[in-house]
Amino acid sequence: MLKMTHLSKVYRTEVVETYALRDFNINVKEGEFVAVTGPSGSGKTTFLTIAGLLETFTGGEYHLDGVEVSKLDDNARSKIRNEKIGFIFQAFNLIPDLNVFDNVEVPLRYRGMKSAERKQRIMEALERVGLASRAKHYPAELSGGQQQRVAIARALAGSPRLLLADEPTGNLDTQMARGVMELLEEIHREGATIVMVTHDPELAARAQRNVHIIDGQVVDLSEDPRFHAAHAAADQAHG
Amino acid sequence: MQIKPILAAMRHHKAGTVLIALQIALTLAIVCNALFIIQQRTARVSRPSGVEETDLFVIRSDWADKSDPRRIDAQMQADLIALRQLGSVQEASSTNSFPLRGTGWDNFIKLQPDQVKMTTDAAIFFADERTLAALGTRLVAGRNFTAGEIGAQQPRDALHSAQVIISKALAERLFPQGSALGKTIYVSMGRTPSTVIGITDTLQAHMTGSWANPYAYNAVLIPARLLNDYTYYLVRARPGQLAAAMRDAPKALYAQSRMRIINAKDGVMSFAQVRRRAYERDVGMAILMGIISVVLLAITAAGIVGLTSFWVGQRRKQIGVRRALGATRGDILGHFLTENLLIGIGGVLIGAVLAVGINLWMVAQFEMARLSLAYVVAGVVALLLLGQGAVLAPALRASRVSPVEATRSV
Amino acid sequence: MFAYYLQLGLRSLRRSPMLTALMVMAVGFGVAASMITWSVFRAVSGDPIPGKSAQLYTVLIDNRGPQYNDNGEPPEALTYTDATALVAAGKAAHQTLFYNVAPSVLPEGNQSLPFIANGYATNADFFGMFDVPFEYGGGWHASDDAGRAAVAVISHELNQQLFGGADSVGREITMDRHTYRIVGVAAHWDPKPRFFDLFSGNAFGDPVQLYLPFARAVDVQMDTAGRNNCGSNADFGVGRDAWLHGECVWVPMWVELPDPAAAKGYREFLTNYAAEQQRAGRFHWAPNVRLRDVNDWLDHMRVVPPESRISLMVALGFFVICLVNTIGLLLAKFMRRAAEIGVRRALGAPRLEIYHQFLVEAGTVGLAGGVLGLLLTALGMFGVGLLFEPEIARLAHLDLSLVATTLLVAIVATVLAAFYPTWRAARVQPAWQLKSN
Ligand SMILES: Nc1ncnc2c1ncn2[C@@H]1O[C@H](COP(=O)(O)OP(=O)(O)O)[C@@H](O)[C@H]1O
Ligand SMILES: [Mg+2]
Repeated sequence: MLKMTHLSKVYRTEVVETYALRDFNINVKEGEFVAVTGPSGSGKTTFLTIAGLLETFTGGEYHLDGVEVSKLDDNARSKIRNEKIGFIFQAFNLIPDLNVFDNVEVPLRYRGMKSAERKQRIMEALERVGLASRAKHYPAELSGGQQQRVAIARALAGSPRLLLADEPTGNLDTQMARGVMELLEEIHREGATIVMVTHDPELAARAQRNVHIIDGQVVDLSEDPRFHAAHAAADQAHG
Repeated sequence: MQIKPILAAMRHHKAGTVLIALQIALTLAIVCNALFIIQQRTARVSRPSGVEETDLFVIRSDWADKSDPRRIDAQMQADLIALRQLGSVQEASSTNSFPLRGTGWDNFIKLQPDQVKMTTDAAIFFADERTLAALGTRLVAGRNFTAGEIGAQQPRDALHSAQVIISKALAERLFPQGSALGKTIYVSMGRTPSTVIGITDTLQAHMTGSWANPYAYNAVLIPARLLNDYTYYLVRARPGQLAAAMRDAPKALYAQSRMRIINAKDGVMSFAQVRRRAYERDVGMAILMGIISVVLLAITAAGIVGLTSFWVGQRRKQIGVRRALGATRGDILGHFLTENLLIGIGGVLIGAVLAVGINLWMVAQFEMARLSLAYVVAGVVALLLLGQGAVLAPALRASRVSPVEATRSV
Repeated sequence: MFAYYLQLGLRSLRRSPMLTALMVMAVGFGVAASMITWSVFRAVSGDPIPGKSAQLYTVLIDNRGPQYNDNGEPPEALTYTDATALVAAGKAAHQTLFYNVAPSVLPEGNQSLPFIANGYATNADFFGMFDVPFEYGGGWHASDDAGRAAVAVISHELNQQLFGGADSVGREITMDRHTYRIVGVAAHWDPKPRFFDLFSGNAFGDPVQLYLPFARAVDVQMDTAGRNNCGSNADFGVGRDAWLHGECVWVPMWVELPDPAAAKGYREFLTNYAAEQQRAGRFHWAPNVRLRDVNDWLDHMRVVPPESRISLMVALGFFVICLVNTIGLLLAKFMRRAAEIGVRRALGAPRLEIYHQFLVEAGTVGLAGGVLGLLLTALGMFGVGLLFEPEIARLAHLDLSLVATTLLVAIVATVLAAFYPTWRAARVQPAWQLKSN
């Protein structure tokens, strides 16, 4: 589904060059649930933005669904984002001017869907996240957990095959975080591929596979002592 | 006050900075020129006519029967007697034209009979011994016409006047050194000289167009009644009785003879109306430029308020951080005021150049005068103050941002 | 999608009413100022006779010579001698001459008072050359000119005043105590500027009320009510006759020449005429003649008042400033929504859709500004009457084309102004969202 080989990403500013990713290799298979962990500034978000075609990369190759994406133009990339990829952000990123219904509708609008179908999909998605009754509310009138569920509904409404989540629970308390996690697991069971960046070892442990990034590179998990520590903590929490 | 962080902030809002500077520049350029136009027009409007304008009015009488000049002459004399007999009237005189009328008869004036180019141009006012009294214009030298000197002539007869009275400005133009009194001038196209027997105080010509600016105060009084298709009567009401006299006079004329036409619309006009009509365009132009300047300044100020408010909103968190790190309210206020001042200075520098450029172009196109630099300086100061005033409200709001904002996310 | 963006735009405009009001006002004032001054300008600078302006020429001859003429230019009308001689020569397809008259008209019935009517003493060709429309009857014939007939054409308005609008052809009208038989009633006709009568400064004068034959008017010694320009060259003798046959100019003359070849031919004829005068000893200088078509003549006589030009220019400058202002405010407004743009881009909106969305939003601002501008323009039209002399002010009027132009200009200008802010908005990176938390 998602395959990066020798990928690199360099940010150039007037003073410095930052290698956010270097010789970055990853292969996520269709239907996998991958958790990405790593220290702050290691390149996790950069990986997600490139994976989600929000940004271009500097070198290497990236095949999404078998397509080499560096050749695609902005329009083609927009189309793929719209049809194949769902995003969940740490800061929810709902549009404050739009109510819940209209927020969920945004990606469907760009797909040129008929009004009736849009409506049906939106209500289904809101139903799933348990917020159908809040369709007319504005983001500011919702709690953090509810806002994130709206964001998930927005990601779901387009039935994406790939769901990218950047610390989706980072701004939520444990209770809410668990709810969001359960929702993601349910989506995964229905066949979506999920890549989730998280700081929370407990959540990471619930994924099928863990990828650890340090200094812009995927490190071999078995050789990293920090991984073992995290695993131990997760085991304890479960046990 | 540190300039560096301000410059950094401006670099961050390059487009907004440039737009505000551009707006200030264009506003300065237009407002300077608009104010200059206003000043020029009002200067024109407030020129003295040399006429005692209160209590003065004019009547135009068109003759229904133009066939016999002698009858017209007799009628004019009878009309004058009738007008002077009215209780509300102090003085009345016949003429072909008067100051500020707009159209009329102007002639080239020469000092030698065979001179090729004119010395100057002047309004021709046909007058009698009462004309100066009716106008309320004094003589500064020489004497008035006597009743016996007043003749009559038809419009197609050449001017043959042995004696004339001229206005002060014309006298000075013709004889810059020494008095014009007693000198001879050539008023008509002919070779007959006219002797200057009197010089009036300031007396404006009928021409109000800008082409006539050099001749605006040149007038020659000819001692004759002009037997034309129409005549004007200059009537001075007794003090305070203008309205009554303006009502009485046409009635008295119609009582004299009904074979005349006094136009209902503008046949009888107070001198105030004459003045208003003469300067309508100038006053209109001045008002229009005034309105445009005021609205323009308001819009520019509002634009500055709008954009600065946006910047303040955008930088709330940053401001909070600065406050948390010890910046005082004064520092924050100073930051925005200084930022605006820098932008304003950039704008007015470009604007001053533009203002002068536009003026030079108008000088070439419309024969306008050169913009005095005082206007540019005044405009620069006004726009810088306007900018500071406009930025004050958003800047104060910025200075009230609480340090707590630093800790708030998004 | 358009409806969606319209809805989004309106919602966004409602979110910041102050900013929106500011933009709408800037556009409204800018467009109104431009439209008011433009409506005056278009009225004073328009082509008064569109189909024919390139075929009608005024004829000018220098009868003063290099010493006395106006920097080499011939005077702005002809002498009686030249005008009548050239019309009699009949070398153009059509030719006319005229002078202004203002006779006293005595209405029928002994209760009525005489009044002054303004008009032209002219010839039969006048009506066809200047496309005078007729309500009843028509112009007189060339034979009436030659026969010095006492006939007249009156305007629709004068006919209304004298005969209550009835067909008055064949009835009589008394002017300056002479009677004339009415042969035609013109329909309303008032070309602006009145290109053929610039010599007497009547470009924007009151509409013409009557016409009578030139030769007849001269016979009855009807004096010119227009300008008479004698220059400064010679002694003209005494009295009307000397004046009439002297070198004062007071008769404008026009010819109709259907094509450039005819114009070239006429110019040659004119030069020959002046050369003949030189040979005869009347002119002591080489032929100096002009043939100016309508637009050339309007230019030469500077018909457009400088006030109108300056006002238009200042108003356009004003509009530009308003637009710069709008660019700034739109930029602020759009960039305030950088987050929303990032989200939309992340959710799959192509750049084009962002352009689309924000230009529609700007368009609604433009439309609102246009509506406000329209109100202000209507108000301003009223104000123009207070500010400018009636001759100019009444030319400015709000018609359908002005309404359409106002709205169109407002929308187009605002959308153009929105291009830069929109371009900036569309440049917002989708990744911005993830990175900025
Ligand atoms: N737009 C950018 N410009 C310059 N440097 C960036 C940009 N985005 C990220 N970086 C740098 O790239 C590195 C990785 O950042 P990021 O992917 O956000 O890390 P993480 O999400 O793991 O905390 C960091 O050193 C960061 O400073
Ligand atoms: Mg991150």
